[in-house]
Amino acid sequence: MRSLVGASTLMPGLLSQLLAEDGNDPLAPKQPHFTAKASRVIFIFSNGGVSHMDTFDHKPELFKADGKMTGVGGGLSNQQRVLLKPGWQFRPGGQCGTLVSDLFPHLRELMDDICVIRSMKGDDNEHYNATLGLHTGSFFFSRPSIGSWISYGLGTTNSNLPSFVALAPQMPYAGTQIFNNDFLPAYHQGVRVIGGKQPVANLDRRTQQKGLQEMELEFADLLNNRHLRSRAGDSNLAARIRSFETAFHMQTEARDIFAIDQESDATLSLYGLKRGQTEGFGWQCLVARRMAERGVRFIELVDGSSSDNWDQHADMAEHAKHAKNIDQPVAGLLRDLNQRGMLQDTLVVWTTEFGRTPGVDGTKGRGHHSACFSSWMAGGGVKGGHVHGSTDEIGATVAEGKVHVHDFHATILHLLGFDHEKLTYRHGGRDFRLTDVFGNVVGELIA
Amino acid sequence: MRWSAFLLLFAWPGVAASATEARLHRAVNLNGPPLTIDGRAWEAGNDAKDVKTTGKTFENQKVRLKPPTDAARTQMIRSSVWGDKVDIEFSHVPDGPCQVVLYVWEDNHNERFSLLVNGVTTLADFESGTEGMWKRLGPWPAQSVNGRLVVTARAASHGAANLSGVELWAGDGPLPESHTGAFVETPGPEQTAFFENKIRPVLAEHCYECHSATAKKVKGGLVLDSRRGVMKGGDTGPAITPGDPDASLLIQAVRHLHEDTAMPPKKKLPPHVIAALEAWVRMGAPDPRLTDTVAVVQAKSAIDWSKAREWWSFRPLVSPALPPVQDKSWPANELDHFILAKIEAAGLKPAPEADAHAFIRRATYDLTGLPPTPQEVEAFAAAYIQHPESSIENLVERLLDSPRYGERWGRHWLDVVRYADTAGDNSDYPIPQMHRYRDWVIDAFNRDLPYDQFVRQQLAGDLLPDAKPDQVIATGYIANARRFGSRVDDYPQHLTIEDTLDNVGRAFLGLTINCTRCHDHKFDPITTQDYYALYGIFSSTRYPWPGIELDKKQRDLVPLVPRHQLDTAAKMMKDREIESSRLNKEVKRLETAIKEKKDDKNRLEAELAQAKAAAKQHAQKPLTFELAYAVAEGRKIGDVAVQQKGDPAKPGPVVRRHFLTVFGGQELPANDSSSGRLQLAAWIMARDNPLPPRVMANRLWLNHFGKGIVPTPNDFGKQGKPATHPELLDYLAAKFRDSGWSIKGMHRLIMLSRTYRMSTLRDEAALEADPANEWLSSFPRRRLDAESMRDTLLMLGGSLDLSPAGPHPFPPQNDWGFTQHKPFKAVYETNHRSVYLMTQRIQRHPYLAIFDGADPSTSTPARLSSTTPLQALYWLNDPLVHDQSRKLAERIVKSGSDDRTRIRQAYELLFARPPDAEEAAVAARFLVKAGGSLPQDEAWHSLVRVLFRLNEFVYLD
Repeated sequence: MRSLVGASTLMPGLLSQLLAEDGNDPLAPKQPHFTAKASRVIFIFSNGGVSHMDTFDHKPELFKADGKMTGVGGGLSNQQRVLLKPGWQFRPGGQCGTLVSDLFPHLRELMDDICVIRSMKGDDNEHYNATLGLHTGSFFFSRPSIGSWISYGLGTTNSNLPSFVALAPQMPYAGTQIFNNDFLPAYHQGVRVIGGKQPVANLDRRTQQKGLQEMELEFADLLNNRHLRSRAGDSNLAARIRSFETAFHMQTEARDIFAIDQESDATLSLYGLKRGQTEGFGWQCLVARRMAERGVRFIELVDGSSSDNWDQHADMAEHAKHAKNIDQPVAGLLRDLNQRGMLQDTLVVWTTEFGRTPGVDGTKGRGHHSACFSSWMAGGGVKGGHVHGSTDEIGATVAEGKVHVHDFHATILHLLGFDHEKLTYRHGGRDFRLTDVFGNVVGELIA
Repeated sequence: MRWSAFLLLFAWPGVAASATEARLHRAVNLNGPPLTIDGRAWEAGNDAKDVKTTGKTFENQKVRLKPPTDAARTQMIRSSVWGDKVDIEFSHVPDGPCQVVLYVWEDNHNERFSLLVNGVTTLADFESGTEGMWKRLGPWPAQSVNGRLVVTARAASHGAANLSGVELWAGDGPLPESHTGAFVETPGPEQTAFFENKIRPVLAEHCYECHSATAKKVKGGLVLDSRRGVMKGGDTGPAITPGDPDASLLIQAVRHLHEDTAMPPKKKLPPHVIAALEAWVRMGAPDPRLTDTVAVVQAKSAIDWSKAREWWSFRPLVSPALPPVQDKSWPANELDHFILAKIEAAGLKPAPEADAHAFIRRATYDLTGLPPTPQEVEAFAAAYIQHPESSIENLVERLLDSPRYGERWGRHWLDVVRYADTAGDNSDYPIPQMHRYRDWVIDAFNRDLPYDQFVRQQLAGDLLPDAKPDQVIATGYIANARRFGSRVDDYPQHLTIEDTLDNVGRAFLGLTINCTRCHDHKFDPITTQDYYALYGIFSSTRYPWPGIELDKKQRDLVPLVPRHQLDTAAKMMKDREIESSRLNKEVKRLETAIKEKKDDKNRLEAELAQAKAAAKQHAQKPLTFELAYAVAEGRKIGDVAVQQKGDPAKPGPVVRRHFLTVFGGQELPANDSSSGRLQLAAWIMARDNPLPPRVMANRLWLNHFGKGIVPTPNDFGKQGKPATHPELLDYLAAKFRDSGWSIKGMHRLIMLSRTYRMSTLRDEAALEADPANEWLSSFPRRRLDAESMRDTLLMLGGSLDLSPAGPHPFPPQNDWGFTQHKPFKAVYETNHRSVYLMTQRIQRHPYLAIFDGADPSTSTPARLSSTTPLQALYWLNDPLVHDQSRKLAERIVKSGSDDRTRIRQAYELLFARPPDAEEAAVAARFLVKAGGSLPQDEAWHSLVRVLFRLNEFVYLD
């Protein structure tokens, strides 16, 4: 099939010559500003607001103060509420002994690879705005997603696959905006994968007859080349001819990504998957690894939807269900990347849009809390076994080492070899960047 | 005590010099008990003899005062009398000169009021500031009249002046210092020595880099290299409260009290340095640096207006002389001279004329977004051989008369105004009435509404004398501005207004006005004052409420009734609302009753069912008139204060509503009680404003040639790119303005030119000398846009529905319960043209997202045309492609008896030309080869799919 275009008998070599001369293939691999620690990102987003004091931020005082004192809490407000103690015990994990709650027993074993940030901070207490901010650096206006920025900055090493994929069986808050290219060119749009039997729209051949699509493409190629001959010099026409070749291969190669039956039993069980399973967070994690292997630059895994997620206003006990859903798969992903030698240049990021209040919401729940929350990173040049920053005694505010969402973004870009102030795009009379006019690289996270 | 210690050490020169100090006559705590302040006795307001006070009383002792002050004064300040008119009348005041001192404060939002003593204004347009701010105003010299002295505060209606206390001093001598502190006027020698030794070196070493006239960029508007700079302070207020280190922002900053204001930001100063600064503040910040560096900085950043007006796009619009050309036979009209002159200057030759087939395909897609039919192609090709000029004229007229024209060119405008059918809040509420504006735009293009009226109606159609319903609908342009968030009480209206101003600036003026929300424009001569002058116009405008998560009901839509019936209609809506809430309450009552009592459950449930039915019936009862999602004059009309750094909580000075200073800064007349929208439209479209004709002429050119003369159609400022053909742009713009703003006239001018007739062919010389085809020596080839491709698929498949599209099938409003958890999200399949696809503000339509459709969240001045594998996958596998190909194949098979005529038919339908012999032969061979394993219909289906995928189909020559 490659002969279809590359060695066209009508115009030998013209296409590749045109495309090479043009020199502006928007997805050609590009060098970042300086030597990168990581060359790709797997970005895990737990939607709804994961409680920091119940997961990665141990607050012994909060256990003691249960019901006795008042602190920030409740719904969308910052009013004073009676404190609610964390619902799970904390234990040390790995050689480093980083404390993690019983919600994440699998991940806890891997704390030597993980750098926990306990001092994250956002600007908005609404799911929608916080989610948008975490993905685009803008809490209100639509802007390109972090994945689009990275695709724009790095291009891709595999032209048969998109550079930015969002594994999002359900839509999170703020909808398609979280993987939208916005004003960046459409090449950098995140391609949504929903899982199941038809994971990507239009990926499956609609012509069933064997060889028919090949024949159609070959005929189109002949006519297109004839058309091009009298319009020599138009690289747009050449690029469009090539896009059909890429699409043709994507049908096979992307399908191949989803053929997880090729994996061994040992690997499947690492992710907690049963053979034949085409859904669930384990499936998302394993597919992410397979995409990473094949050169996709930025892979986002969306955990939860805008209506079923970590938003536990009524009863924090629900966190257990959501944690169980991702703990083993994410730990499996880290182990698998590690055993394949991929973790060193794959940056794995886990985050949520905000934390939860130390004060009680309702009788057993917690409210939204952007003043502080926890995230973590692993691989890709970050300091494993490290804890960065802290919150006050009850987890209401950042005590030290604040990492604002903009700082978080600046650090991710830094690990990929970018000066976040220089990765810009001119739009509407202004040079835009992911970090707007903010952001400091958090050097303490970097190995 | 420490205060008096300093008093002894450093006497205030001005104070000490005076022999006849004024003497306190009365001090009244207007809404509070007797107190001792500054060691003087204050009387309680409510039983002070010979003092009468009007106004309502208010007290909130929880507000944190800025700056903080002593306890007694704090208590006095935080209780007050208030109103839009407050009088404090003293009687039995002794004759002779006296002085008035007044304490005012602000408990929440900025208020603006004037202060008068005995009817004479002593302070006009005072701004009360943000929560907790207070001022000790005066002293104002006064004379009692017949023993009477009246202190008055006056605000606009509904405003509120908040007065806490008043001091009446006898005599005209200086007042003894109040402990609120003051800056040292003239430092003594010891003070100067202290400053030079302990303070200046610290400021110079640690602060000047960002806070001085010599700083590369002054941060926070604060300079600390002069006395004036210290006193004035920065964007957040005075740096120092003399005498009170705790209240001084400078001291708070060096103490690193707040993370965001910690200074110096990286490293805290050593304790002894901080102590020195504190001592300095306690002294009253004696400072011998008298150079006014504030003025220096201001002068540096001030805009030189006459120089600013020299920027090319601001210069007056004059139609330029035709440039000389060598080939005098080439131009068909004046426009061609400008193009040919540039081509010749580059040493190039214009491309030959396109053939008739390419031309009609180009012109038809260009004006209607659809392909010509084989019959139209044939007729035109025949006429073209006979009379090329008149055949083109006739073709252009026919296309301009087609209703399809407005659907195509209306869409270009909808791109610019970022049209959407939903509101863009966190739940993206549907706007079922929005389509009326969409249809108005399409209709305006079809009837060639002159552009000046087109602009005026969108900005102020409702304010036109005897406004017609469609002119009200036109203001849907403003109403369509984006909504944000989920909340109601602190809804960020300033962002919706920013979205409005952003679009007004880009769409009509080609300027990025919104950059000035937080700071003066970094590149263009637009100030923050200008921004808030325009902001006042839109904050005086009532936007309809689309419903958001926490307030789901639409309101403030405009009834489409004759103006004299507006009040009646509004009352009907209000009554309906009252009735609806009564019925809903009844449902709630019965539901609660059922929950609480169990005995007569059956009867209650029957009643509940009845009540529910009644509520539903009421909700479904149609109004006797239609509603428009449009704007009206606001409930509160007036100028607004500058929001410092774009923060509504930091009001600065109020600015009169006016137009951009660079265009003359015309102010809204003093007696004007409207929002000012009609004036805004007039200012924008004033004959001497060169931008609207330039900007619109460029848009028209852009959509004919695929690129603008100015490559940045929404930015004619310094960050935009310059025109490739500046004289041509001015020629077109002047023509547009002087010929009555007819858009169809501009199409004629452009399409009857020789330039428009050139083929897309490029010779070696052109490729070499002008690879990007800047000089237009040939017609730029371009890809069909998303709408044209889909519409053609539907049309050729025989599926296109050209009947009026009307409203979208949104769910009924009673069922709306959208939240950010379950936002409104829908894709409605339709066979209407793509301009009628339901467009969500925050969810991109899956098809339009693949093919570079307009961005629904911000203005799209020009479509991109990317080439991606996802697009190819669409052409390979999408059901629409397959379905319409099948339908077209069936049509073609039926249309002819043999494959030769069928192949010809297919080529004419898709490419507006017959196939040549070789093409016909290979197509026939393909049918045989594909037909080897397939039924004939399937082979044809396959061939049509191939043709749709071809570059020749998606590119226009």
